[in-house]
Amino acid sequence: MIIPARPFILLAQCALVPLLAAQTDTCRFALSGQVLDAHDREPLSYAEVFIQTLGKGAVADEQGRYRIEGLCAATYRVLVSHLGCESIEREVRIVGDLSLDFRLEHHAEELRELEVVRDRPDENVGQSRMVLGRDAMDRAAGQGLGELLSTLPGVALQSTGPTIGKPVIHGLSGNRVLTLNQGIRQEDQQWGTEHAPSLDPLSSDRITVVKGAASVQYGSDAIGGVIITEPVELPRDAGIGGELRGLGQSNGQGGGGSGMLQGGVKGWQGFGWRMQGSGRYLGDSEAPGYVLSNTGVREAGASASIGYRDHRRSATVYYSWFQRELGILRAAHIGNLTDLDNAIASGEPWYIDDFTHAIDAPRQTAQHHLLKAEAGYAVTERSRLVATYGYQANDRQEYDRRRLGRSATPALDLWLATHTADAVLKHWIGGRVHGKAGISAVFQRNSNIPGTGVRPLIPDYRRESIGAFIVEHFPLSEKLELEAGARLESAMLRVRKYEDDNTLITPERDFTNAALTLGANWTVRDSVRMRFNLGTAYRPPHVSELYSEGLHHGAAAIEEGDAGLGSERAIKGTIDLQGSWLDGRLAIDATLHASRIDGYIYLRPDGTRLTIRGAFPVFAYTATDALLCGADATINLKLTGRWSWRIRGSTVLARDQREDEWLFLMPADRVDNTVMARWGELGEWRSLELSATSMFVFEQQRAPVGVDFTAPPEGYHLLGLAAAISRPMGNGDLRIGLQATNIFNAAYRDYMDRFRYYADARGFDLLLSVRYAFGRTA
Amino acid sequence: MKRASNPIILALLAIAALVACKKENDDHQHDTNEEELITTVELHFHQVGGGEHKHFTWRDIDGDGGNPPVIVADTLTPGMSYEVSMELLNESVSPTDSITSELQAEAAEHQFFFQVAGADVMVTYNDTDGNGDPLGLVTIWTVGAASSGTIVVTLRHEPDKGAPGVSSGDITNAGGETDIATEFPLVVE
Repeated sequence: MIIPARPFILLAQCALVPLLAAQTDTCRFALSGQVLDAHDREPLSYAEVFIQTLGKGAVADEQGRYRIEGLCAATYRVLVSHLGCESIEREVRIVGDLSLDFRLEHHAEELRELEVVRDRPDENVGQSRMVLGRDAMDRAAGQGLGELLSTLPGVALQSTGPTIGKPVIHGLSGNRVLTLNQGIRQEDQQWGTEHAPSLDPLSSDRITVVKGAASVQYGSDAIGGVIITEPVELPRDAGIGGELRGLGQSNGQGGGGSGMLQGGVKGWQGFGWRMQGSGRYLGDSEAPGYVLSNTGVREAGASASIGYRDHRRSATVYYSWFQRELGILRAAHIGNLTDLDNAIASGEPWYIDDFTHAIDAPRQTAQHHLLKAEAGYAVTERSRLVATYGYQANDRQEYDRRRLGRSATPALDLWLATHTADAVLKHWIGGRVHGKAGISAVFQRNSNIPGTGVRPLIPDYRRESIGAFIVEHFPLSEKLELEAGARLESAMLRVRKYEDDNTLITPERDFTNAALTLGANWTVRDSVRMRFNLGTAYRPPHVSELYSEGLHHGAAAIEEGDAGLGSERAIKGTIDLQGSWLDGRLAIDATLHASRIDGYIYLRPDGTRLTIRGAFPVFAYTATDALLCGADATINLKLTGRWSWRIRGSTVLARDQREDEWLFLMPADRVDNTVMARWGELGEWRSLELSATSMFVFEQQRAPVGVDFTAPPEGYHLLGLAAAISRPMGNGDLRIGLQATNIFNAAYRDYMDRFRYYADARGFDLLLSVRYAFGRTA
Repeated sequence: MKRASNPIILALLAIAALVACKKENDDHQHDTNEEELITTVELHFHQVGGGEHKHFTWRDIDGDGGNPPVIVADTLTPGMSYEVSMELLNESVSPTDSITSELQAEAAEHQFFFQVAGADVMVTYNDTDGNGDPLGLVTIWTVGAASSGTIVVTLRHEPDKGAPGVSSGDITNAGGETDIATEFPLVVE
């Protein structure tokens, strides 16, 4: 632990030098704080704070935080404005650094439209959440959703080699994390650990992560949390804007790009449209010392939406398509336990070839279509009905290395079609209490496409569910708002499974579950806010947990379902503290969480079985009671006007209570330190940002005995550097970023990577990203 | 506002028509058998220059799970040399599928390995693939003095036949994916 600490101690010392040499002129004060919505105290992203007397100002960040420096001891008139809000003017007397929060009211006539904007699904007042905004998206052209989100504290990455990554929220992933894509539950075979989410992070401009049990709002599966790629608000007025992004990276020798255009229609006030497309193309990744053969990725995505809205009604249609083909590390395709033991013992992949962009078997292809139609109607002045229909089709093929040219025939070929329908009434009860009530229905059908020549891993099934929920907000005072809600949902599962002797069985299961939520949002003072949430969530077992039976190739294990398993039921509490101190120089965002999951389903070792390929360990899906708790935090410290220091860390403790043992595959503790310097104006350039990040991931000491094939890998330390610069160009805005990750090309393996048995993780990578935003978007 | 809703509905219908009707599964079709399942490994022993025949069989007709495999191995005679030909079958289907012919067709991508423990038996390759590398469908077993032990017969798919020791039958550096790994008792008496 001593050695890894050294780099950031050094960095900290470097950062302190300019602090000691602090400026001494008289105009050295800063005004900082947050711009908030007066109604629900939500931060108003990108609000403008302008000092008229000086002709200077600042644009707030995503969290509504702003900072204006170089102020003298004087009285200023400050103008605060935000789209859709009543601008305010305040007289501010500066005698030293001052922290001041502003609250804006909605335009009276815009109130209803603002409700449309605020239709973004997450409105829980007590729920702990984090937002990834535009700057984070700039790096997304080179990353999948999982990698992108894993930069957030409390979110980790469960990976299967360098190409497949799934987000883990507070230790839970897969079917225990719900993804809402454009407000629709994403249904894309998340039961498989090697099935990455089939969606393009760039199809949205904002991703929110809810870190709590949230079945009341979102339905089943929201046990660990919810990932929300938020619908983009369409323009209403004429004029065109757009954005182009490009990214190139050295590791994988490829890159990605995306383009977006949006606008309104002249003479058709209220109409708006948006089109977006993106792609990514990467060859084999490289670990320090060798090529990770057959780990190429290619992705393409496109989306289009049109919409209309006026004072009373709104309608949008959205369609997106996403396709991904990815290679699976060739050396991870093995035959039996002996092969696995050999792979672990040798320390290097047994198959290493020259770098190539080509993808060979084993590989996966997945396509995902989403069609969404939504209509809203203001029933009365203050209540609004929104109906949403979604259709999704997920088409997945997995190819193995097989004999006699069968490698070109998928070994798994699944078609999952899902219809979702929701109706939500946003309403007010009296003058203060307001909330949402709704019903939702899901109809889903999973089909194995014949012709694989392999017994299906999971059977065909139909799933239907219907649920109803209500959530109400009770503002008790300016400072305290409470929230309570409940949901009842019933699901039916009809399975068609062919047994080993080819007899057809058609079991049916019903699952009825209820969920409750209680939340509070307490504004301790203007700059300090706390959120409390106690929520329950449920998840009926997936078909794979009930009926799968067979050999899992990459894992060298036989996995057996248990048709008798019941629903998982979770209760989770979160406490969230967000605040700033020392005149805005110190900002802390911390979350504490604890959850208990009854009937937690996991794979438990259940002896070995002799097959013609040799002996295999058998793992049976078993239910236990799990207890998870942990903490994560981000601390931002402004050292001087230019230098800042950010520390992020997270830890999760997860126990199997029936076995009195740790739970398998829980993320190890991690801490990252970033030192950042920012220059406001540099000649033609508007801003320059430099940063150095040191990330330390500890060895996972809390691993169960007798479950894994090898001990958890050692901890590791990665150092990264980044620079970003931006300037106005034409009628737009240009941003160029350069980022180097794992600059010492450290060889390491991560506990959460299923391919850690076979190969090291990716080595050094250099990424160059360019974004140009123009027109109404800039 | 009547005018406004029409293009939306039209667009909706158009997109729905494009997306919705791709493929639906016919309920009566399903993949009933594993095309690549190997249920049976047979070793046919022919005495070199003589008339003695022996058999080893490793059979698990219902595949993984279900009933345990049945393993049969004749005793070998001391001082004898046998030419051993291997036969791999999928007996879960009717008619029985011969995997041996698939291996012959893809000889360069397969190799058998024989690991003897305890018994005084030496195994050498007696066939090659198209590149002149060993395959192992036909081998010569040279039996020494009375002894007993085990032999593990392993079939690797896509091994690295050029790796050190692999062509002489050492599995250590072979890599690839194990298609079969069957252990037989080996008794010489």
